[in-house]
Amino acid sequence: MSMSIRSERKYLEILRILKEAHEPMGAKRLSELMAERGFILSDRAVQYYLRYLDEMGFTVKVGNRGRILTEEGTAETESALVDERIGFIISKLERLAFRSTFDPVTCTGNLAYNLTLVPEADLDGVTGAFDEVIRAECGFFDSYRVVGDDPRVPDGHAGIITICSVTLDGVLQKMGIPTRLEYAGRLAVKEGSAAEFVDLIGYRGTSIDPLQLFISAGLTEVNRLVTTNCGIALANIREVPLSAEDLVKETIRLMIDSGFAFPEGIGIGKFNLHPHPYRLPVVAFSGMNLIANAIEKGYQIRTEIGAGNIPFSKMSGSM
Amino acid sequence: MEGPLKFTNHRIEEYALQATYNPEENTGTIIYNLSLIRPDDLDLAVAILKDAQKTGLLISDRVRIAEAGETIADYTVQPDTCAICTMCSITLDALLLRRGVPLNPIGGGVVEIEAHEPRRFTSMILYRDTTLDPLEVLISQETTSIQSVMENGTGTILANMRECHMEAEGLMASTLDELVASGFAGILDVGAPNVPLLGVPVSPQYLGVTMVGGTNAMAAIKEAGHWVVTRALKGLIDIREIGYLDDY
Repeated sequence: MSMSIRSERKYLEILRILKEAHEPMGAKRLSELMAERGFILSDRAVQYYLRYLDEMGFTVKVGNRGRILTEEGTAETESALVDERIGFIISKLERLAFRSTFDPVTCTGNLAYNLTLVPEADLDGVTGAFDEVIRAECGFFDSYRVVGDDPRVPDGHAGIITICSVTLDGVLQKMGIPTRLEYAGRLAVKEGSAAEFVDLIGYRGTSIDPLQLFISAGLTEVNRLVTTNCGIALANIREVPLSAEDLVKETIRLMIDSGFAFPEGIGIGKFNLHPHPYRLPVVAFSGMNLIANAIEKGYQIRTEIGAGNIPFSKMSGSM
Repeated sequence: MEGPLKFTNHRIEEYALQATYNPEENTGTIIYNLSLIRPDDLDLAVAILKDAQKTGLLISDRVRIAEAGETIADYTVQPDTCAICTMCSITLDALLLRRGVPLNPIGGGVVEIEAHEPRRFTSMILYRDTTLDPLEVLISQETTSIQSVMENGTGTILANMRECHMEAEGLMASTLDELVASGFAGILDVGAPNVPLLGVPVSPQYLGVTMVGGTNAMAAIKEAGHWVVTRALKGLIDIREIGYLDDY
């Protein structure tokens, strides 16, 4: 049995819904969620897709509670329809930014987070690595939160919630500033001199998250940065209209007061980016710098970027 | 320090202006990749290169191996390392651009191979959106299974893609023929105009060409658990400075 590209798009969406669900799901619920995403399918049609996915080994039935994703199914969500996935990286982050309702004036609302899974035995070592980055002020936010009772955290592991820098995009958008997240980059930081980008990858040009790519390719030097004040951190760049500069500066100053950190003080500088006559690049340290430091120190951890949103009150001072 | 950053598509065009390779006369400069391995792994590396050639995963039989102290172009091989210089698949793009083919180098990624046939790209990084060579960073993702492709024809490999205007299809085909006649291999698939190739769409009136990446053999050495550092798109070198794999 083969699938045309049209139906492949639908089965990929079913796999994605199951991947996010973390629990068995039946055909009726799946058909509702598919409709929310613009794919109108009868329960019967969903059943037909599910039988195909079972045959392929991507899903498996759990009694009469519905289907869950198999390991092969998870792998398929990371392999199918490469062209569509190039756009998916950014749209997932945009959804997360939209759901980030943090108000830097009242310090209320939600932040976007990444979820890191750590073997319990390594928890102290990993949090130690995170603390180093926070002390050196090159993480995006000054605290993290350890969670135990979360269905996404497997046995023998702890989960750590770290704040994702797309929170900033959400904050700017809520103020009515048109914001476009453009690049993830490797930022060379040296005490006493201006920070400069060494490499960039555009969010709209890759099917693999660029920050994960930089970390696994061994292209970060966060540990050197936190120990010697000279190294390579991860940062991302969004562009806003140049006329929003004053508003953005004021917002970032308020965020710094609430525990956020930016390169060059406020994330607005020359760096070495191509200047654009009408656009202003705004640079934030990535929350993934915490994770990069732990990985550079040899810890085997996995991180889901953009895992969800959490109220500021639950994060602030949680350490 | 670095100046404004250069994206890979611009780097490819700059190289294209300088690469003077003429396959028929076997003269001129090519674009090369440079990989470093430990001297102890040299026999293994040569064996893997030969396996890769048999499987069609080596784009050219032109290879140069240099030991510590020797120089390749402007690079002096450091102690306790061995350098392997291979042809970069971007040489094809350079050749096509020089001959006036309207060409867009698209990007590099990972291709799934099933029973010796390319099935689809499973990852892709577009050249216009990256300052790093996509295949150089994808090597480290542990998403390839090149050994498995060499052993039983199924797995995943590194590959890249470009598209050319269908008007130039004839010129492109004759260039490919010329290259194949001079020991150039590794054309994975050529698409039809306006039809996506291995899951990657093409511009209107363009057709796609995918080729195996020049660094697959190095990725296979890495898969086997050995130390390898690869710099893709390293620079230009005169073809006469590079020998043949059979010499090793």
